Amino acid sequence: MDKNYSYHELNAMLNLYGPDGKIQFDKDKEAAKHYFLDHVNLNTVFFHSLEEKLEYLVENEYYDTDVLDQYGLDFVKSLFKQAYEYKFRFPTFLGAFKFYTSYALKTFDGERYLERFEDRVCMNALMLARGDKKLAQDLIDEIVSGRFQPATPTFLNAGKRQRGEFVSCFLLRIEDNMESISRGINSSLQLSKRGGGVALNLTNLREAGAPIKKIENQSSGVLPVMKLLEDSFSYANQLGARQGAGAVYLNAHHPDIMQFLDTKRENADEKVRIKTLSLGVVVPDITLELAKNNEDMYLFSPYDVERIYGVPMSDISVTEKYQEMVDNPDIRKKKMKARLLFETIAELQFESGYPYIVFEDTVNEANPVEGRINMSNLCSEILQVNTPTTYKTDLSYDKIGKDISCNLGSLNIAKVMESPDFGKTVEVAIKALTSVADLSYIESVMSVAEGNKKSRAIGLGQMNLHGYFGKERMHYGDEESLDFTNIYFYTILFHALKASNKMAKYTGSPFDNFENSKYATGEFFNKYTEQEWKPATKKVAKIFANSSVDIPTQEDWERLKKSVMKHGIYNQNLQAVPPTGSISYINNSTSSIHPIASKVEIRKEGKLGRVYYPAPYLTNDNLEYFEDAYEIGPDKIIDVYAAATQHVDQGLSLTLFFKDTATTRDVNRAQIYAWKKGIKTIYYIRIRQLALEGTSVEECVSCQL
Amino acid sequence: MSIVRPINWNAVEDPVDLDVWNRLTANFWIPEKVPISNDIQSWASLKEHERTLTMRVFTGLTLLDTIQGTVGSMSIMPDARTPHEEAVITNIAFMESVHAKSYSSVFSTLCSTDNIEEAFRWSEENENLQNKARIILDYYRGDDPLKRKVASTLLESFLFYSGFYLPMHWSSRAKLTNTADLIRLIIRDEAVHGYYIGYKYQLALAEQSQERQEELKEYTYDLLMELYNNECKYSADLYDEIGLTEDVKKFLQYNGNKALMNLGYDPLFPKETAEVNPAILSALAPDANENHDFFSGSGSSYVIGKHESTTDDDWNF
Repeated sequence: MDKNYSYHELNAMLNLYGPDGKIQFDKDKEAAKHYFLDHVNLNTVFFHSLEEKLEYLVENEYYDTDVLDQYGLDFVKSLFKQAYEYKFRFPTFLGAFKFYTSYALKTFDGERYLERFEDRVCMNALMLARGDKKLAQDLIDEIVSGRFQPATPTFLNAGKRQRGEFVSCFLLRIEDNMESISRGINSSLQLSKRGGGVALNLTNLREAGAPIKKIENQSSGVLPVMKLLEDSFSYANQLGARQGAGAVYLNAHHPDIMQFLDTKRENADEKVRIKTLSLGVVVPDITLELAKNNEDMYLFSPYDVERIYGVPMSDISVTEKYQEMVDNPDIRKKKMKARLLFETIAELQFESGYPYIVFEDTVNEANPVEGRINMSNLCSEILQVNTPTTYKTDLSYDKIGKDISCNLGSLNIAKVMESPDFGKTVEVAIKALTSVADLSYIESVMSVAEGNKKSRAIGLGQMNLHGYFGKERMHYGDEESLDFTNIYFYTILFHALKASNKMAKYTGSPFDNFENSKYATGEFFNKYTEQEWKPATKKVAKIFANSSVDIPTQEDWERLKKSVMKHGIYNQNLQAVPPTGSISYINNSTSSIHPIASKVEIRKEGKLGRVYYPAPYLTNDNLEYFEDAYEIGPDKIIDVYAAATQHVDQGLSLTLFFKDTATTRDVNRAQIYAWKKGIKTIYYIRIRQLALEGTSVEECVSCQL
Repeated sequence: MSIVRPINWNAVEDPVDLDVWNRLTANFWIPEKVPISNDIQSWASLKEHERTLTMRVFTGLTLLDTIQGTVGSMSIMPDARTPHEEAVITNIAFMESVHAKSYSSVFSTLCSTDNIEEAFRWSEENENLQNKARIILDYYRGDDPLKRKVASTLLESFLFYSGFYLPMHWSSRAKLTNTADLIRLIIRDEAVHGYYIGYKYQLALAEQSQERQEELKEYTYDLLMELYNNECKYSADLYDEIGLTEDVKKFLQYNGNKALMNLGYDPLFPKETAEVNPAILSALAPDANENHDFFSGSGSSYVIGKHESTTDDDWNF
C-alpha cells in the first residue's frame, strides 16, 4: 500500500490490524511524523532567535512579562537551552496532536503556533518556581523527562498573559436558603469561566414539598436547582475551548434521592432530564447495613434536621444519628427499601455511568484533618473538609466559610521508578503544586479564596501504573502488582509528607488548624511506626533494589513524625489520584492507576474528534500483559485501588468496568466489595458493549475480545 | 379458521430471535440522550457549502428511514417465520421512526427553518434520491417476500452509507462530534437490523428450489448493481463539491460487500477497490472502548442494563 495517507488516516490504521495480523504501531509513529512535517512545521511562526521570540511574545501580550522578569534574560535563555537539550519527541500521534490542538500557544487568530512542547515546559517551570532558579531547573528536568506532569489548567495557562486559572477543581457547598443557592449558581459561572470543574453539594437543600416560611408543600426540592446549574454550565465555556462541567452530590438519605437519580433515566421527561451535569451520591455506612438486613431506610427532611440539630444535614453523620432521627417525631421522613436504592443506582449506572459514589464514613474515618467531608468533586478524587458561608440580606458575605479547591499534577510511575533521585522528584512536584496554591486567590468566590489560603491543599496524582506493569511484565491485579502498588504509594506518601514538612519548617507556617489534626497528635503515623512495610514478593523487592528508591523504614517514619509534630506540614491535603485524561496522552502514560480500556484506545474529544492511542509500552510481543479493564474485571481493579488508597489522604478516581453479561447485581456486588476493601469513592461505571457477531468492523483492534 | 396464538417467549423456536431482541432492547435510545446542542459552535465553523451538504445528506437519510419505518419493516412482517420474529420487526420499525425523528432533532438544534425547508425541497427534487426511494418502494410493494427481504437488507446495510459517510468524515476531523455520536447509535442499530433480516432471508432461501435460489441470487446482484449505479450518481450530486465522491464510492463498495455477506453471498466488489479510508472505517467501530470525559458529551456507549436483585449472600459482610 503506497497510498498517500494523511496523518489522520495513518493514525486510524492503528485501529486496524495489518496484513500480518499485527497491530500497526509503525503507522502511528508515521502519523506523528507526518503531523509535524505536513502540519505543525508549516503552521509555526518562525523566529531567528529565542530573544526575538520572547520579545515578540511579551510585546504582543502573549507572555506574561512578570513571569519572565523574575529571572534575568541570560538565565531564561539557559533554561530554554536545558529544555531543548533533551531532544523531546512525542512518541504517539495523539500526544502531539493533543498538545498542539489544546495546549500550545497560538496566534490570536488561532491560525499559527507560537510554541513547541519545550517552550510550554519552560513557561511552567518559570511560573511555578516563583524566581527560584534552582527549582526552575529542577522542574525542567522533571517535566521534560516526563516524570512530573502538571494538570491541564496549570500546564495550559502557565506564563500566558491571556489565561484561565491554574486550579483544576472546585467544590462548593449550598445551604438551604435562596442567597446561598443563587451564590452557588453565580460561583459556578465564575469558576467555569475560569476553567475549573465545579461540584456542588445539594444535601442541605430542603426536599420537594417541604414548607417555606412554615407554609406546607411549598418547596420544589433539588431538581429545579439542578436544572439551573446544568444550564449555567452549558452557558459558561472558556473562550469556547470547552463547555463548563459540573457535578452535584446528594446524600442517600435526602428525601429527593430517587427523583435525583431518575433525572438520568433514558426516558426521563425533558423537564427533569439532566444531560450534562454529573451526579454523585453520598452513601453512609448505615445505608449498607440496612441493605444488608434488607430493611427499610428512612430519608430525612434536611429542613427539619437543620432545625433540630442546629447544623445543616451535611455536617452531621447520618450513620451516627440515624436511630435518633428515626425516633424523633419532629423530623419528617419517608422510607424505602434500602436495597432498592442500590439497585436503582446500578440501573442508572448502566444507562448513564452515573452516579458516582462517596462512601462517607470510610472517607471521614481516614481523614486526618478536623472537620467533616460531605462531598467530592467532578472526578471523585478530591476529599476535603468544608464549612458553610452565610450572607447578609444585601447578598454580601456575613461569614465567609471554607470551600474547596484543588490543583493537581501527576507523576508518571514508570518514569519516576527510573528517576535518579526519587525523593527529589516527589519534592519538586510537591513544591510546584504548592506554588499554584500560593499563587491562587479567586476573589469572585471568596469562600474558595479563603479556603485555599488556609489549607493550601494540593493533589499529587499518579499515572501510567498499567503501562509500568506491562513494561515489568506483571499482570494488573496479581499478587506482585498489588505488592508494588502498596510499596510505591507508601514511599510516595513518605516523601510527600517530608517535602510538605520541610516547607512548613522553612516558612514557619503550617496549614490553618494543623494543631487539631491527627498529624499534630502523631496519631496519623502509628500505622507506619508500629509496623514494618516492605515488599512481600521477590520480584518487587528486586525492582526497588535496582532503583534509586529507598523504601522508608520505621526509624525514618519516627524521625518524620517528630519533625511533623514539631513544625507541622504546609499543605492540609497532599495526594489525590485524578483520572488523567489529556495529560496522560501528552505524557505517554496509561490513565491514572486504571487498567487500559483497550489496547488501542479510541479517544473522542470535543476538539479532537476520534483519535487512536496505543497503550504505552505495548508491543506485539507483550500483549498478554495488556489485558483490558473489562477482562481484568472489577475485583482486581478494586484490589489495586485498595492497596493504593491506604496511603492516600484524599481520594482516587476509580472506574469499574463490566462485561456486557453483567447485571445490576454484579454492579452492586462490586460496590459492596469496594466498600469492604476500604475504597473511598467510585467514579464511573462502564459496561462493555460488544458488537453482535457478524456486525462488527473486520480486523479492528479495539473491538476484538 | 386460523388460530391466533399468544406469543410465548418461554418457548423460543429460533434463539437468534431472542438474541436480537435482547440486543435491540438493550440498545434502545432516543435522540434526547445526545447533547446535539454542544455541536452548535462546531456547526457555525463549517463553511456555507459544507452546511448545505450536511443538511442534504440528512434529509436523504430521513427519507430512507421514513420508508423503512413506515413501509419497509412492515412489509416484511407478514412473512415472519415465528411470532418472536414479528416482535423483533416491530422493534425494528419503531427504531427506524426514532432514527427519522433524530435527524429532525439535529436539524432543529443546528439549523434555521428556511435552511431546513430548502434542504427538504432539494431531496424532493433530487432525481437520484427519488429514484433510489422508488426502486426500493417497488420491491416493498411487490409480491415476492424474499425479494422484499433482499431490498430491506440492501437498504439497511448499503443504502444508508452514502449518508453515514459524512458525519463519520466530520467526526474524524473533530467536527459535529455529538451528531456523529447520534449517527453511530443509528449505525449500531442498522448493523443489527441488516444482519437479522439477512439471516432470516438465508433461512427462507435454503427452503427454496435450486432454480429459485439461482434466480434470487441473480436478482440480488442485479438489484445491488442498479442501486450502486444510482448511489454513485447520488453521491456525486452530494460530494463532488468537496471532492470526496471517490472516497464515498469505496465506502459504498465496502458496505455493498457487507450487505451481500448478510444475505449469505460472496462479495461483489474486489477488496482492493473497496478499501475504505481508514479514518472512516475506524470511526465505524462500535464505541465500547471509546473514552470520553464529561467535557465531551455523552458518547454512544451506554446501554439499558439487566436488572437482577441482590441476595442476602451478596450482602454478607
